Amino acid sequence: MTSQTLQKVDHSALKTNQLFIIFLNILAFILNQPILTAFVAFVMGIGAVLKTPGFGFIYKSILKPRGWMKPDVLNDNPEPHRFSQIIGFAFLLAGSIALFLGSAGLGWTLVWIVIALASLNAFGGFCVGCAVYYWLARLGVPSFGKQPPAGTTPGAKPKAGATA
Amino acid sequence: MSSELLLRFAWAVGIIFLGVSAYWLANQFLLSRAKNNVSSLLHPLPNKPVIVYFTTPDCAPCKTVQRPALEKLTKLLGEKLHVVEIDATERPDLAKTWGVMSVPTTFLLNARGEARYVNNGVARVEKLMEQIQTL
Repeated sequence: MTSQTLQKVDHSALKTNQLFIIFLNILAFILNQPILTAFVAFVMGIGAVLKTPGFGFIYKSILKPRGWMKPDVLNDNPEPHRFSQIIGFAFLLAGSIALFLGSAGLGWTLVWIVIALASLNAFGGFCVGCAVYYWLARLGVPSFGKQPPAGTTPGAKPKAGATA
Repeated sequence: MSSELLLRFAWAVGIIFLGVSAYWLANQFLLSRAKNNVSSLLHPLPNKPVIVYFTTPDCAPCKTVQRPALEKLTKLLGEKLHVVEIDATERPDLAKTWGVMSVPTTFLLNARGEARYVNNGVARVEKLMEQIQTL
């Protein structure tokens, strides 16, 4: 394992992002509003550019200051989470395009894949996008350089106090 | 319009139900795995309900919610309950064999040492009490 420096990552911000992605996409499906899915994709895209969870601003500006959600700061690599968000963005963008082009089956399937993976992350503590990132790092793919924190299964939520 | 909305709502509920079922099955798998590891952790069996609580020193929800909940439960039930606390950073081998992916995680074992419930994440005192009563 190569030496690396872990950063403080607030998993509550990530969880807020996932919960909003789940809720808004389910709402988009029920109301049959691809524009809502496109909006979620847009927010995730902005988040990917700014290197922050897309809906994390709701956590930072509302949920955390009012004490509705407590910080869950862990030693972790932020890069796999960013990669995961980019993957989600790509799926939702493709889903939105498919929906706007009239391919409802393909479009909603892509949206539900994002909902399923965000749910697995939010409720099960397993980030599939992060696991993919670590597998790519293992394969030596350029710009995928991080290793999972010590004692952590690739994709699983790091245990508090984890070290590089 | 409203019938289409209802249909889509039903689809959403159905898909969510499938997801929850998959999550339930995964938990059942964890419990069956835990059954094979009880004897190595508890020898001899205390012949009373046991909570196996996985935590780490820096886990904030463990300190603020899970530990106080377990302390309250221990006060309420006294000698009728046995709590085993495991620091996952000190015992990563145990965390791995029990399939613990995050902390806090609590396993509830009945008096025969059979793992009956697993809570991934914080489990409040009411929930734990309800689970203990049905062990």
